[in-house]
Order: sequence, then structure tokens, then C-alpha cells
Amino acid sequence: MWRIRIHGRGGQGIKTASQILGSAGFYSGFQAQDFPLYGAERRGAPVIAFTRVSEDPILERGPISSPDIILIGDETLLNDPQSAPLCGAEPSTVVFVNSAQVPEVLSQKFSVTTTNLTDLCFQYLNHRTVYSSALSAVGARLLGNIELECLLRAVEDELIQQGISSQLLQGNLDLAREIFEMIQPVAVSQREEKGLTAKPLVFPSQLPVVDGAPIILDPGNMALRKTGNWRVERPEIDYEKCNNCLICYARCPDGVIGVAPDGRPEIDYDHCKGCLICALECPGHFIHTVKETGTFP
Amino acid sequence: MKTKIMLTGNKAAAWGARMAGVEYVPAFPITPQTEIIETLAKWFADGTLQGKFTNMDSEHSMFMAAGSAGATGVRVFTASSSQGILHGMESLYTISGWRTPMVIVNVSRALATPITLEPDHNDVMSTRDCGLIQLHAETCQEVFDFILMGYRIAEDPEVCLPVLVNMDGFYLSFTREPVLIPDEEAVRNFLPLYTVTQPVFQASRPMARASAVFGGATYTSFKLQQELASRSAEKCFNQTAQEFEKYFGRLYEPVEAFHLDDAEYVFVMSNSFATKGKSAVMKLRRQGIKAGLLKLRLFRPFPSEAIASALGGHAKVAVIDQNLAPGMGGITYPEIVTSLYDREDRPEKILSVIGGLGGKDIEDQDFMAIIEHLDKPDMQTPLYLYDEGDASGFSRLQQIAKLKEALS
Ligand code: SF4
Ligand code: SF4
Repeated sequence: MWRIRIHGRGGQGIKTASQILGSAGFYSGFQAQDFPLYGAERRGAPVIAFTRVSEDPILERGPISSPDIILIGDETLLNDPQSAPLCGAEPSTVVFVNSAQVPEVLSQKFSVTTTNLTDLCFQYLNHRTVYSSALSAVGARLLGNIELECLLRAVEDELIQQGISSQLLQGNLDLAREIFEMIQPVAVSQREEKGLTAKPLVFPSQLPVVDGAPIILDPGNMALRKTGNWRVERPEIDYEKCNNCLICYARCPDGVIGVAPDGRPEIDYDHCKGCLICALECPGHFIHTVKETGTFP
Repeated sequence: MKTKIMLTGNKAAAWGARMAGVEYVPAFPITPQTEIIETLAKWFADGTLQGKFTNMDSEHSMFMAAGSAGATGVRVFTASSSQGILHGMESLYTISGWRTPMVIVNVSRALATPITLEPDHNDVMSTRDCGLIQLHAETCQEVFDFILMGYRIAEDPEVCLPVLVNMDGFYLSFTREPVLIPDEEAVRNFLPLYTVTQPVFQASRPMARASAVFGGATYTSFKLQQELASRSAEKCFNQTAQEFEKYFGRLYEPVEAFHLDDAEYVFVMSNSFATKGKSAVMKLRRQGIKAGLLKLRLFRPFPSEAIASALGGHAKVAVIDQNLAPGMGGITYPEIVTSLYDREDRPEKILSVIGGLGGKDIEDQDFMAIIEHLDKPDMQTPLYLYDEGDASGFSRLQQIAKLKEALS
């Protein structure tokens, strides 16, 4: 069995990538299974999806804790504790990152492949950054046992179900073909089965009701959750031109634009989710947008 | 033409309803079930399905509408989950007493409080005593197949009860795997379009289906009728399963035995986590430990005989309940133990295990821990699948909830 785990953000086509890969495996004559995992959240939040492809019946379900292949669609997730894209990776795990170069943290530990999918998607998909076809093509090629025709059929089937235009479908097919031909297959070695050991279980101790019931005495702790890393694009205020009208402050749906003592608007980047409503609302268009790169501190 | 396609459990359920030729679907959305009714809504809108799809104002009215429509003699389908099925609870008792056939899909999701979206079986277990026939599915194929079988059982003149097909949220509802969809002709041969075998509401013929009774004896008479109808559904299940095999080649017994013959340790499980149990059984066997698994499939009526003869003669049994009755433990455990009480060859040890609550995974190492626990001379029951990491993660969350500074 080959286990593939895909990391990205809500809106980047991560779930669809796992489904295209699942269908491509299925069309190639394998048993296949795919499964997405996302919280009750939204666009930009970390999403993980899983595909299993196997010659034998698949007796597994749910998340893959120890993958053979990890596909990272968004390199800003590399040190995100919630996404934890490298969790459970072993030295034999093949890691792919959508990036122009191999991030230094990775190169010594794993066999890493990179391609700048973002640029390719821009080129083929009308400036969109939806990685469903691109990541599934990478996965299919790295696996090495999936035929190009099966991949293309899977791209077509899954995207048509989503009601895509014929022009964009053609772009996706061309993109998948180009990536499939660009990536080199990697020999994914079948993992040795480890002996089973017993999990050390503990008997829970009874707590006073204040801890035993879901009681929150310190509300407002959402600040601890740094949602800033959901951003794909960052709003930046041009203070040379800003006239402190504070419309952006009033419109930010997350309330993360504050007012400094001198009356200027200030964006809290730890929590700004990058919806870019502020940029749209600023009457003078004094808020610019910059694509996020690198990892979130 | 028959086809094999990749489907989620939810889509497989929608396909089951479609191939059954359902004529009326009252609906109310709830995660993780919504994809079922979304898919059906689309098919009714584009003419793929003929009949009526109605958005209701709650699950309570949804189940009443389903029962009422069933009482007019049309084939009815509906679906719910978790808080939704609880909200409809009063209606579930009511409509099963009306004895109107239908198929209900429940997509298991744990119950508040605390609230979550992920699965366990407290929701479906709470409907255990409503008088529904219950079939629990492990795979997306079983979801599809059980809906077709469900209509045969629900509409059988001796049964006439709603059938509930259960699947786990996420692990099945959102998981795609290959599902074989048979061709329509084969389905119609196995499950002809609905012909009613009982009086139904008609404009020209007034009748009542829900009378008030006092004094106890009449109430008892009707309830015992419901009990007998439910018990007769086991025979009906077996006959239906044989017919199903004839047409589609898959045989479903009320329980599934997996590597049971020479097993010294048996896990009793149900629904999608049974797949994980099977995988653990294979790994344990490769390590020389004779493990096996018994999967519950028909849950109401409870197939006591089938369960007892499957478990009789095995030394150590662990009943894994993905549900919790606080103050009692696992809900299916006492039912299994009761089934075995009269048998001389009953297992030496029957352990109750509580795990998989709120979608918590059950891993290979958990199964090994169960084996070790079964081997302890002073084995205590129940065993909670709860470890050091769960406890420390919980106390970290407590710190955040109680005092922010504690984190820095
Ligand atoms: S992009 Fe602007 S409006 Fe959106 S969260 Fe950030 S600051 Fe607020
Ligand atoms: S809306 Fe524009 S001009 Fe007004 S405070 Fe915000 S950035 Fe400045």
C-alpha cells in the first residue's frame, strides 16, 4: 500500500487533489481510498487530505500518521503546528514542496522534490492558485505506477463534477500533463511492518467540576490562536497616503485593525486572516496586497 | 449498466435511495449528513428522480412527514445525524408505532456536551429502543447495499417498520472508496417498485393510525405486536440477504466473522472502525497471536443466537463500545454478555472496552493494549482507551481555559 498525505489551505483544492489521485489510482486498476480532514473553519485555514492506493484490499481508514509521500501545497505551512506537514515522516518518506527551492530545514533529513507550482498554476489556470490538478499530477508521477491517461481521466471526471468551465478544464489538463512529464518518479519503498506494542493506557483521575466540565474561565483566549498564518496575501497600509478615516478599522470582519494613539490604523498580522476586505473598502485604495512567502514565525 | 465508481459514504447513501426509486424525501441538513440530501435534492431538481423533495423546519417534523408519507403508501427516504436524530426522537417512537415502512440513514456523530462533529455511536444507540430495525455499515458498499435490503425488510408484510442504516461520520461519510452500482434492471428484480400491503391514507377513505388507549392491556397488546414484528425481521433479514446474494453476489450475515475459527482473543466491533480491527487482527496473527473479530451488522432485532454461537468456545472476548452510558459503561456490552449467559461454552473473560469517542482513533497499539489487559489475572472492566498523551493534552487545554499566563 502507498499512503499519500496532502497539506494545504482551504480554497487551494487540497481535497480535490486527494480525490483526483484516488480516482487515478482506481482507474489504474488499484484499490483506492481518499479522505479529507478540515475543521469547522474556512478559506485559508490548514487542510489535510489523504489518499491510499493499494494492490490489496485497504484495511485502513482515517488520517495517515506515517505517510510514504507528503505533498505540501503551501510552503508557509512548514512550521505550522496545526498542519504539522512533516509529522510522522520517516527518512524513507518522499517529501514534495511547492516551492522554487528546497527549504533548508528539509534538505538534510528527507528526499525532497520541489517545483514552483504556483507559477505554473498562474500560467495555466488564469492566475488562479488552485493546486488540485498540479498536486495530484505530482503525486501520480512520484508513485510511478499511475498512467498519464488515468490521471487525465481523473482530472476531467473530478473537475466536471465541480462544474468547471471547459476552458479552465483544458488548462487543468494541460497543467497536469506538463507536471507529469516534468517530475521524476521516486522509488517509494514498501515499509517493513513494525511489531505491535501495547499503548500504555492510564486510568483518568476524577477532577473537580471546574476542570471536569468544559468551563472556560478565561474567555478571549482566541488571541492565542495565531490565525495570521491562514493568509495567502497580506494587506499593507500605505501610511504616506492614508488619511486615518478608519473605514478599514470598521470593516475588518475579524476586528484585527486597531487604532494607534496617533489615530493611525494598525493591522495585527498575528491574527489578520488575509480576507483583503480592508483593501477593497479603503476609499483611496491605500491598502496594497503582497503575496505571503516563507514560513510564519 | 452496472458500474464501479469512487463514492463517499454519503454519496453511496444517495445512490442507494436513487436506485431504490424513492418517491418522497423530507430533509433537514446537519453535518456530516448534508451531502446525502444535497445530492438527492439535485437529482429531484434535474428530473433524475421523480417525486417530491421537501425541506422541513426541523428533524421532528421531518420524521413526522416521513411517517405520514409512508402511511399514504409511497417509498420514503430520509437522513439525519447526532443532535438532529435526538431532536426527532419523539417522532421516531411515534412513526415506528404507526408501522409505516421507510429507510432512514443516520450518519453517526457524537453528542453534546461538549459539542463536536466527529463520530461515535451514542446517537444511534439512543434510537436503539425506538422500534426501528437497525443495520450498521462498515464500508460505502454496505451503505448502498443495506439501503436496498432495508426497503425489502421495511416493506415486508410481517415487518412493516422503519429501517435505520447507520454509518460513521467522516470515516465513512466523507471517505471515498470504490462502490459497485448494479444496473437498474437487477435492482428492480430484487426490489420491485413499492406495492403497499396495508391500508393507506386515501382522499376517499378516512381512517386513523394513532389511537389513544387506556388501561394498559391494549397498549401492551400493540407494543407486543411491535416486538414480534421486530423479532420476525431477523428471519426476514436472512431471507433478504440470500435473495440479495442471488442477484448481486454479496452475502450479508447478521454478524460477520473475521478469522474467528481458532481465535483465542476476539474483538467485537461495529461500523467503520471494524476495518481497523480487521487490520489489527492480521498484524497480531503475523506476530503469532491468535486474534479474531466479530462485526455486528444487524443490530435491531438483536441477533443473540448468531452472536452467542459465534463467540461461544472462544477464551477471551473484548466488546469495544464507541459509546458511553455514564455510570454504566458500554451500551452493547451487557447485550452481548446476556446473549452468552445460558451457554456452557461461554468465554472465560468478556471485557468491556470504551474507545473511539468523539472520533478518537483506535490504533494498532490500542488493540495490543486490550490483549495485554485480557491476559491480566485481575482484569478490571471496563477498560478505557485513554493514554498519557490524552491526559497531558487535556491538562494543557485546561490551563488555557483557566489562565492565559500559565502558557507563557
Ligand atoms: S485582510 Fe484586512 S479586513 Fe481581512 S482580516 Fe486582514 S486586516 Fe482584516
Ligand atoms: S480605509 Fe484607507 S485611508 Fe482609511 S484608515 Fe484605512 S487605510 Fe487609511
